Amino acid sequence: MTTSAAAKQTIEFNDKVVRQFMWASIIWGLVGMLVGVLIAAQLNFHELNLTSWLSFGRLRPLHTNAVIFAFVGNMMFAGIYYSTQRLCKVRMGSDLLSNIHFWGWQMIIVSAAITLPLGFTRGQEYAELIWPIDIAVALIWVVFAVNFFWTLAKRNEPSLYVALWFYIATIITVAMLYIVNHLSIPTSWTHSYTIFSGVQNALVQWWYGHNAVAFFLTTPILGIMYYFLPKAVERPVYSYRLSIVHFWSLVFIYIWAGPHHLLNTSLPKWLQMLGMFFSLMLWAPSWGGMLNGLLTLRGAWDKLRTDPVVKFFVAAVTFYGMCTFEGPLLSIRAVNALSHYSDWTIGHVHSGALGWNGMMAAGLFYWLTPRLYGTKLYSVPMANFHFWISVFGILLYVAAMWVSGIMQGLMLNSTNAAGTALTYPNFLETLTAIRPMMGFRVIGGALYLVGMGLMLVNLWLTARSGKAVNETREVTVIQRNSVDTMGLKTTFLADPVTYFFGGLFLLMGWIFLPKGADITALICSLIFGGIAVKKFAGSHASWSQWYDRLLENWLPFTLLTFVAVALGGLIQIVPTVMVNRAKNMEDRIQQVYTPLELTGRDIYVSEGCYNCHSQMIRTMLPDVLRYGDYSRMGESIYDHPFQWGSKRTGPDLAREGGKYPHSWHFNHMKDPRSTSIGSNMPSYPHLFTQKFDQKTLPKKIATMVTLGVPYPAMTDVEIKEDAIKQGIEIVNRLKEDNLSASPDTKIVAIIAYLQKLGKYDTPEVEDKLKTAPGIPTLIPGPGNPDKNRPGGAE
Amino acid sequence: MSQNSPDTEPVLRPHEYDGIQEYDQKLPNWWLFSWYIMMVAFVVCWVVYYQVGIGMSDEKEIATAMAKIADYQKKELEQISDDKLWAMSKDAKVVAAGSATYQTTCVACHAPDMTAMLAGAKLPGLPLSDQEWKHGNHPTQLLTIIRKGAPDVTKGMPPWEPQLGLQRVVEVLAYVLSKHSQGEPFTLAVDSPLKKAGVQ
Repeated sequence: MTTSAAAKQTIEFNDKVVRQFMWASIIWGLVGMLVGVLIAAQLNFHELNLTSWLSFGRLRPLHTNAVIFAFVGNMMFAGIYYSTQRLCKVRMGSDLLSNIHFWGWQMIIVSAAITLPLGFTRGQEYAELIWPIDIAVALIWVVFAVNFFWTLAKRNEPSLYVALWFYIATIITVAMLYIVNHLSIPTSWTHSYTIFSGVQNALVQWWYGHNAVAFFLTTPILGIMYYFLPKAVERPVYSYRLSIVHFWSLVFIYIWAGPHHLLNTSLPKWLQMLGMFFSLMLWAPSWGGMLNGLLTLRGAWDKLRTDPVVKFFVAAVTFYGMCTFEGPLLSIRAVNALSHYSDWTIGHVHSGALGWNGMMAAGLFYWLTPRLYGTKLYSVPMANFHFWISVFGILLYVAAMWVSGIMQGLMLNSTNAAGTALTYPNFLETLTAIRPMMGFRVIGGALYLVGMGLMLVNLWLTARSGKAVNETREVTVIQRNSVDTMGLKTTFLADPVTYFFGGLFLLMGWIFLPKGADITALICSLIFGGIAVKKFAGSHASWSQWYDRLLENWLPFTLLTFVAVALGGLIQIVPTVMVNRAKNMEDRIQQVYTPLELTGRDIYVSEGCYNCHSQMIRTMLPDVLRYGDYSRMGESIYDHPFQWGSKRTGPDLAREGGKYPHSWHFNHMKDPRSTSIGSNMPSYPHLFTQKFDQKTLPKKIATMVTLGVPYPAMTDVEIKEDAIKQGIEIVNRLKEDNLSASPDTKIVAIIAYLQKLGKYDTPEVEDKLKTAPGIPTLIPGPGNPDKNRPGGAE
Repeated sequence: MSQNSPDTEPVLRPHEYDGIQEYDQKLPNWWLFSWYIMMVAFVVCWVVYYQVGIGMSDEKEIATAMAKIADYQKKELEQISDDKLWAMSKDAKVVAAGSATYQTTCVACHAPDMTAMLAGAKLPGLPLSDQEWKHGNHPTQLLTIIRKGAPDVTKGMPPWEPQLGLQRVVEVLAYVLSKHSQGEPFTLAVDSPLKKAGVQ
């Protein structure tokens, strides 16, 4: 672009990259959903686990990653590239970067689709991709960020529209979350151990996992809604001030809600409480987005009858509203005690992914394609049919999951009237009960998939009937020195920012300070809040002016957004990772895995067992009766990665060790039905023939030592010998039951691991402090609210 | 929903972004109130639990419930004797209930016919249909094994009392005993821990 003084300039938008992302999204969406239907069918018919690489545990991560990163990811990029260029009245920063972004992202998807079925995984949900791919993701994301912010920097529109706020929040937050949660030490090209373990790993993972939903599946799509919905209905957005309030509250509050994935677990209770209440406080900000979407239609509701695009958008926003109501509901600890680990959660995420993301994608693509190819939509009736089959499919799916989740949750938690025994002691009884619902799920998902196929056909024929066109437009070039001139001082030392920080600081005092000081801090913050409101009432004009100015300055806006999204994570994670490390091991410390057990654990992770089995007995009577004493924080302190799980298609395994003889596990892995009648678990014949990996074992142990796991000093030979020796012991035991296995096979390693689950030591206090790796001396400051509690020290 | 009276048009902001304009409607009151209620709930609940100290911690709640169960079991066990268990094994209702639990929970290791053999293959459990016992043949001894599991669980039986509850354990035992008779001859298994200890 030239810097000539000419006030007018004709530019051509890069619409090619939009088309590329759009087709990629549709194709990968079909693949991801096809895999979804397959794995749903596998839950009903275990015979469909055809081979090792087509088994549920390996395909489920492929399904989730494909839908999130490939389908919604590409859709988001299509929407962002299209709208950003127009909202900035300028072509994307760099065609080269756009190309690298597109092709790089597709390469990542292909490599994910190859590595995941092969069992290469990090073992954390939606963060499964192995470390070389993680680095590629981070790099491509940076390419995207540079390209995007470059576009903002050279924009010909002084003020940033609300859609761009959401894109900014997406880009910086996803970068932050992704990098922190993927910090790992490699042991080979295909394997690494995450640097966090146990409770810390859990907290970081769900800070990431929950906010992947927030900043990958929600904020970019809200941005897309803010651009494409008013375009489609040709009406002004309902409320600018609602945009401001719900944007800032959404990005600030969302980050705090992660611990609601860990309710009733061994995560410190104060974090659970914060997770629960921030989820409840998130309800209104989420609905702000829904209101702004739906109320924009006022005066244009008639379009709902005629335009399939509007149909999809309205349904999507409605599903968004339903989902963001259901989310806070599920975050209430008492509700979560029933719903967690059950199909209810599965239904919840699918009403989000299929209802909100999928329908937004469909609306977006039906709107874009005719414009990108200079033609008309090939068939409106076909699009309408797609709409109705999708709605029907989702409702069938979600309703089936509600029934299934609530029914199984009630059965699992049910005790007799005196509270002395479980009503349904056999887990399989509860699985059998939900089998019909799992069948309906396959039908619902398949109907949705058919709709996606119809969309591909319809859009393909639309494209064929036209020709790819890149829009050109005459724009007025703005004076560069008229925008982006705000300094740090005017950004951060403005009333809205200082009042916010003051209030937050006092509130943190309320949560973390010791008895007496806490209530004082609360009273101070309430008074302070009153002053802030009064101040706002008096000078809201100057606050608005400051905000209007902020919108003309992309970098200060981005910095403020970063601060808003970084705070929640800092306050929740840093105390747990740094200060509470020693306290994590209060009464029990996990026993260190032997080399063979560690190998078995890696196989457990690689086979994706965590997709169906949790290792976390919650602080709830039914859990304790069914699975044993509730899990303590110290009992997973050496688990890199933690395997607490988030779904129990099978029973919890936290105390599986020593529960059954080796022969039981041997038979169970060979044919689960032989020991557990009615089980839907896949058989694992390949574990009986494949050898476990002895070569990288010393490197793995060395990495564990680096991470602070107290292994005794062993030479490489000793490590391998130790593994084989333990293998021989297990084989000898199996022989007593007339079963034969080779001591270097995977089945032996996995039996060793399963028999170790739940083994712990109860060291004396001094020992604990000696063996605890790298405890920083307690820094004065953040206290532990659970400890400060009156009568809390039991 | 709007707070504006119908005859005053909402404020339309003049700026246009690629043809998109924005109204500046007031925030809906019901929306604001629902938000405020959540904030107040947060503050009130936190103060009540953390500052006032009302409400039991999860750990305490579990401990209380488990103590109650232990109490109940103690009372029940005091009433149980070998003779009573044998009597139960004659009670068709108890045996039927025990059989139902056995068929879902125990068959995997002990086989439907209690032989611990299925289609010629040995299952992990010990046979319960013969007269050889590893942990003693008194009903109360058997009851302890079902409740608490074998002394070395890696070689044998897991404890079933937590999951099944005492009542179901008693029923299952009644079902097993129904295949035997009081006073029948018995032998102690070669590897019986009782043998080593010299106890009969």
